[in-house]
Amino acid sequence: MHNIGNDIVDLNLAKTQSNWQRKGFLEKQFTQKEQREILNSENPFLKVWLFWSMKEAAYKCYTQKFEARFFAPQKFECSLTSEEIGKVVFKGNVFYTTSFFNALYVYTTARETKEKVAIFSAVGLPNTIDSDLKIKLALAIGVPSEAIEKRKTFIGAPLFYHREELVTPSCSISHHGNYGAFAFTLENKF
Amino acid sequence: MPVFSLKNIQNKMKKEEIILKLTTIVKPYVQNEEGFKNLNEDTDFINDLEINSANLVDIILDVEDEFKIEIDNDSMEKMLSVKATVEIIQTKINA
Repeated sequence: MHNIGNDIVDLNLAKTQSNWQRKGFLEKQFTQKEQREILNSENPFLKVWLFWSMKEAAYKCYTQKFEARFFAPQKFECSLTSEEIGKVVFKGNVFYTTSFFNALYVYTTARETKEKVAIFSAVGLPNTIDSDLKIKLALAIGVPSEAIEKRKTFIGAPLFYHREELVTPSCSISHHGNYGAFAFTLENKF
Repeated sequence: MPVFSLKNIQNKMKKEEIILKLTTIVKPYVQNEEGFKNLNEDTDFINDLEINSANLVDIILDVEDEFKIEIDNDSMEKMLSVKATVEIIQTKINA
């Protein structure tokens, strides 16, 4: 089974909620290589949040398999092959990331295989993201969306059930500020 | 050994003092006021206080400043709850 993870950053909120130039902020969370890349970037602010969303998406992918919670952003090492395509390595596990950014947000999905897997993913409003996901999922598997039920693993990862059957082998939901985002896979089940 | 030895009492006071200082530190990052009102040792920063994960580092940096300690990466990994954070602060202070 291939896990996926996602993460969204509201850039306007990130501006006020965090100060990336605070002493220690970069040193604690980013590798030296990442720090250099951030500081040499034309837009260091954007690079900070791009790397951050890659790390978070990879963490969510990793913790679905190894159910544990921890805070070790620096150990998730990011590298980019293009503006939006990258890789995150954590304890020998490689996660492949695809990001999207505009003036409003940065959004990243991470997956465990280099090959593209079919990921159902969308960005929306934080309050309606669960129902957006249910509608999309219901359409994909051909059931009414009211029949889909959300549950959580003990570390808080979302799971979606239809008639007591798990229908999302891997699922990730992210909220930040004015945005919500979901990503899920169906594998070959349907 | 008596249960209420002076050392136990001192440690206990220390712990409550730490929690009090920690409460002031986390306050600006809290997004769940109900969780904050009920803050106790078992409070989880993300699940109970809905602190954004991007602000966890601010808490760690604030803790370093407030208690004049340095938090290494391995300790930082565990700092998701009041209890774990207090334990780390106690260890570092007493080191």
